[in-house]
Amino acid sequence: MSWRPVKAVVGREMSKLFRQRARLISSMVRPMIWLLVIGSGVGSMLQGPEQDGYLNFLVPGILAMTLLFAALLSALTLVYDKEFGVMRMMMIAPISHYWIVLSKLIAATLTAMVQASLLLVLLLVLGLVSLKVALSLLLPAVLTAICCAAIGGLIAVYSKSIDNFAVIMNFFIFPVFFLSGALYPVSQLPAYLHYIVLVNPFSYGVDLLKHAVPNVATDFSVMTDIAVLLGFSVMAIAIACWQFSRESVHEPLFHRATKGN
Amino acid sequence: MNNDSAISTRGLTKRYGQTTAVNNLDLNIQAGQFYGLLGPNGAGKSTTIHMLTTMTAATSGDAWIAGQKIAEDPVAIRRTVGLVFQDSALDRTMSIDENLQFAAAMYNLSPNDANKRIDELLTVFGLQDKRKRKLLTLSGGQRRAVDIARGVLHKPKVLFLDEPTIGLDLPNRRAIWRFVEQLRREEGMTVFLTTHYLEEAAACDQVDFIQQGKLQQGGSPAELTQQLASYILEITTPNPDNMTAQLTPLFGAPIREDEHLSFKIAEHDVDFYELQKSLGDGVSAMQWRKPNLNDVYLWAFCSPEQGKIV
Repeated sequence: MSWRPVKAVVGREMSKLFRQRARLISSMVRPMIWLLVIGSGVGSMLQGPEQDGYLNFLVPGILAMTLLFAALLSALTLVYDKEFGVMRMMMIAPISHYWIVLSKLIAATLTAMVQASLLLVLLLVLGLVSLKVALSLLLPAVLTAICCAAIGGLIAVYSKSIDNFAVIMNFFIFPVFFLSGALYPVSQLPAYLHYIVLVNPFSYGVDLLKHAVPNVATDFSVMTDIAVLLGFSVMAIAIACWQFSRESVHEPLFHRATKGN
Repeated sequence: MNNDSAISTRGLTKRYGQTTAVNNLDLNIQAGQFYGLLGPNGAGKSTTIHMLTTMTAATSGDAWIAGQKIAEDPVAIRRTVGLVFQDSALDRTMSIDENLQFAAAMYNLSPNDANKRIDELLTVFGLQDKRKRKLLTLSGGQRRAVDIARGVLHKPKVLFLDEPTIGLDLPNRRAIWRFVEQLRREEGMTVFLTTHYLEEAAACDQVDFIQQGKLQQGGSPAELTQQLASYILEITTPNPDNMTAQLTPLFGAPIREDEHLSFKIAEHDVDFYELQKSLGDGVSAMQWRKPNLNDVYLWAFCSPEQGKIV
């Protein structure tokens, strides 16, 4: 197995990412709105030093949000390419089909990291993080990006069409984000929601990012975060690869043509 | 199996639930041949191609490409075959060059080799000056040509063309056939074609028909048309029942479509002018011509007794 096909798939996603500069810039708008509007709004309900504390608390949260959206949407291209036929070009290539999933997830991780780095630069310029904090957020961000790409890959291989994916996104992306401790400390949630946070792998990414920011309360140990993120990612990616290699997954892609001709 | 075979299958079958898309297919196609699998929509042509190119697994039976069993090493089979899908496999938002570079990298061609090959193919297809153009800006025929170029980038031993001219106008269809012919001549690849434009299969070395997943009647197009009849006589008449009764004893039962009757004429020396005179006013139009593959197909699948057209 040569790396050239993997590089080609990743390269294609990267050139699309940088070609759509307007989209890249607008992907910075969402986290900034959360940070400045929600952060200031909710912060204004708090007293004195807690106000600044909440903005500080939100930094890892919105960074995690950027990683989640970017990686999930990038993994969505697995479904997108299927819908628009480009997947056929990859399926007929002389590589094992699970490499298509792995390449796409590498691309999703890189896409998420590009957007997260851009956001960190922005936060740095606005004086919301120090250079030291920004740098120490990078490694936790990589692990979180891999975890988010794995979640996206898992959803993508079980989705038959983009419509299906859109529904799943609404059922997954918002619960995964809101029930992760990105916006509020987990410890104060009611018990039943607390359990959902515990089984949500994304929570551990958010928590690991919080560890990198001083004066932010965390819920789990660094080791727990890393173990869960890596364990979940390996398992999810393995399942995604296995499911994608089963030919019945692609029958709609080919059988539709059979029916039509 | 035969070692000279480019493609061979034994009892190849594909079922989707209750539907049998391909039923017990036995094929043996020699290397270098231009082979046509012909049949109506939904007959199982695409499913056959998808099984032979490892895009879908057979429910039962075996198949070999260039001596390699397809179930054993699908990746090696994909290296050996090229497939031009019925629906385009290209990214419309990328340029010709980007699409072909991407496809070439998927085949593990070095950028240098890829460039040379892309140059070569775009010259054949007359698209050299459009290399940097986005797919969106090309005509349907040009896009199809790029699709074919993509399918042969890695110089496959066996090229599968699934309805390559569907949806194209006549000049573009002719152009596509010229390209395929040139590729075949220059690179000596075995070509497996499916089409329901039967006249396009006349250039094939061998054709078979497929109907509801079952393979029927094969041979070279010339043999098949010769065996069918010397002439096809077509008569349009306001009174088809009378005409059928009158001519059936002479030529056998016709294929009937409303007021239109087709007879196959075995004899070489029928005096059609005399016949026309004797039929008189009962005929609104009459023509006789040499049979073609469409006729072979119609006579194989449309029973004259029922007068039905499939």
